[in-house]
Amino acid sequence: MGAAAAEPAGPALDLLHIVRINEEIKRVVAVAFRINIMALNAIFLAKRAGSAARGFGVLSNELRNFSGQLRETMQSLDSLIHAAVGEVSSLLLESRYAGILSRVEVAADRGRVRSRVSAALAAREARLGAHRTRLAGLRRELRSTIDDAAQLVDLGGVLAKSAKIEAAYGAAFAGPLAQVSGEFDGIVREIHDSLGALQKSGFLRTRS
Amino acid sequence: MKTTQIIHEDGDHQWLAIVRDPARPAHLIDTNEYLVTHGGQGMLLDPGGVEIFPAVFSAVAARFDPAAIGEVFASHQDPDVISSLALWLEFNPALRCHVSWMWSAFIPHFGGQPSNFNALPDEGATLSLAGLPLQAVPAHYLHSSGNFNLYDRQARILYSGDIGAALLPADAQGLYVEDFASHIRHAEGFHRRWMGSTEAKRSWCERVAALDIDLLCPQHGAIYRGEDVHRFIDWFDGLQIGVLRG
Ligand SMILES: [Fe+2]
Ligand SMILES: [Fe+2]
Repeated sequence: MGAAAAEPAGPALDLLHIVRINEEIKRVVAVAFRINIMALNAIFLAKRAGSAARGFGVLSNELRNFSGQLRETMQSLDSLIHAAVGEVSSLLLESRYAGILSRVEVAADRGRVRSRVSAALAAREARLGAHRTRLAGLRRELRSTIDDAAQLVDLGGVLAKSAKIEAAYGAAFAGPLAQVSGEFDGIVREIHDSLGALQKSGFLRTRS
Repeated sequence: MKTTQIIHEDGDHQWLAIVRDPARPAHLIDTNEYLVTHGGQGMLLDPGGVEIFPAVFSAVAARFDPAAIGEVFASHQDPDVISSLALWLEFNPALRCHVSWMWSAFIPHFGGQPSNFNALPDEGATLSLAGLPLQAVPAHYLHSSGNFNLYDRQARILYSGDIGAALLPADAQGLYVEDFASHIRHAEGFHRRWMGSTEAKRSWCERVAALDIDLLCPQHGAIYRGEDVHRFIDWFDGLQIGVLRG
């Protein structure tokens, strides 16, 4: 039972990649949710600090907007992945059936049956083609959505760094403000790394 | 490709056995498929697993127009019985599959719409193939809990599904049982382990012994004919079943 022979390829490999992408996205979504709560805390903290942390307050509002946008982006990534899993599963099933049909042998003198078998195969091939086209479209969409998310996260990084600077002007609240903005920065970095890994994913780099 | 052999012929009323696929991968159990034809219509009995579809289809197509196969009889729900359904539907989307009511919501996992299924009641039913009556005979718990045989009174043939099945060695691949005593050794372990109900077995033996049968055709192994039919029924009647070992 050669386990080495079972290396996945084609749609099966795609499925494997998609599952990994999905795990990564789930991680990012969880982190993005944490950011939203942190942004809310930051807003309350800035309100209590009052005029001493006006700049920080403006930034924490921006961070809250950022986390909302991030969540939306993650939602569209999620539905793109879901659609891609559907397409790849159909591809796997169709190609299995097409493979089985292509093994049918019909004698040359059975014209009607032969043409029916070819028609059935052609229909399978057409469906396979349609799935491949849709999958290629999804791949492109995924790629650009991940790129958008990466840009958004870069912006989030700038906001987090500015918040760190503003925290220093927070007088009595400088300590807790620095802590909040530091956590922000850490999380944004985490998302940044995850997205970097996603951009390198085999499924997204495949030419199609 | 599998070979086809005519085991009954009376005008356009035929029984075709589709057997012994030399190209079949060793990890798949060998199966027999049977095609009953009458009045230009065909009913395929236990069309087989999806992986052996090319072998069965090619063999059938050499003798009969696959598009004229309007009906499929599934003795039970096993993958070696009916997992090829989706591919047969491709050649006749209006195909009707006769199967125990127990499995009529399970088999659609292999393909098909509700209109493709005819759920057989426990007591059985008489099906008609272009006017030829074919009797779905109850054989529940042997081995499946919703299980049928198919009896053709005119041809005096009983399709018995897994009952009578034998896992034959490579050097005993004949179409018919030639020596009952040596054949049945290859059937014993299977019947002991797969068949679960002594009570169901008793009533099946009674039911089937009352039928006029020339050929008893199982899904695996060789066909019992003549005296061997009753030899088999008697042997089965006396066999202790529902045991894990021994
Ligand atoms: Fe079975
Ligand atoms: Fe079987």
